[in-house]
Amino acid sequence: MFGTTLVTGATFGVVARQAGLEPIEIAAMSIIVFAGASEFAMVQLFAASAAFPVVVATVFFLNLRHVLMATSLRPQFARLSRARRLAAAFFLTDESFAMATGYFRRGGRSLAYYVTFAVSLYILWDASTIAGIAIGSAIGEPRRFGIDFAITATFVGIVVLAIRRATDVAVALAAVAIAGALALAGASTVAVILAGAVAPLLAVGRPR
Amino acid sequence: MIWAAIIGSGLVTYMVRALPFAVTLPVRLPAPASRYLEALPVAIIAALVGPAVLAPGGTLTHGPEPLAALLVIGLVAWRRSLLIGVIGGVAAVAFLRAIS
Repeated sequence: MFGTTLVTGATFGVVARQAGLEPIEIAAMSIIVFAGASEFAMVQLFAASAAFPVVVATVFFLNLRHVLMATSLRPQFARLSRARRLAAAFFLTDESFAMATGYFRRGGRSLAYYVTFAVSLYILWDASTIAGIAIGSAIGEPRRFGIDFAITATFVGIVVLAIRRATDVAVALAAVAIAGALALAGASTVAVILAGAVAPLLAVGRPR
Repeated sequence: MIWAAIIGSGLVTYMVRALPFAVTLPVRLPAPASRYLEALPVAIIAALVGPAVLAPGGTLTHGPEPLAALLVIGLVAWRRSLLIGVIGGVAAVAFLRAIS
């Protein structure tokens, strides 16, 4: 998990730099937002000069799943003070959730263990982003080396790895088709949020 | 604009992470709502792929993107590695551009 974070963080730094963002903006995204897929999505939307409410709305929907994760972790954190719970919430990611779920299910009780893990991921994510910014600044002429495709390839890979069941495939294909069609019709920035909000309806009726 | 987007995105991300820790929500969401929420990330990321692969310049592509995307799907499904997929896809785009 630490290896994946390192590589993805560095890839993000490279891709964001190649997309023309300033190093300070890229570092701020990892430090303030701290959500891998959202940060890649933001770079793509910035490149398409999306208005900031569109960017924020896309990130909001992309991260809405954290409500489910935090809800399922809540009982484990109930013994912490409210202030500490709210601090721990900042470090909740797909990775730390997966780790925490496994750990608590095996009977683990130490919240310090979870917090150490989650904060380490945060530090590693920020450090690898900064390393990626340095690498990205050193590579010239991205198009010639196909590097402009790296962000798209990253999204394709994230989708493939996230597929768990047949409805996921249907949702992904529908989202590609709807967003692609809207982009061809000239609505490329709202294409993402519209297709992203409509396609999951295919999963609503899925049998258990 | 970029800074407004970064700070706004940071706020909404923290909000969805912290909300269930701050207030008591109904213990269980209705099943269809959870299924919708679970499918959201896949849909949004796939929605980012659609325009980038089918219409990278705003019009239907005749370029290497669709082929390279298929290669990435194959590589990632086979090796379960994001990095291998990205390297393969980038190399394919560079190669196809060089020969076209």
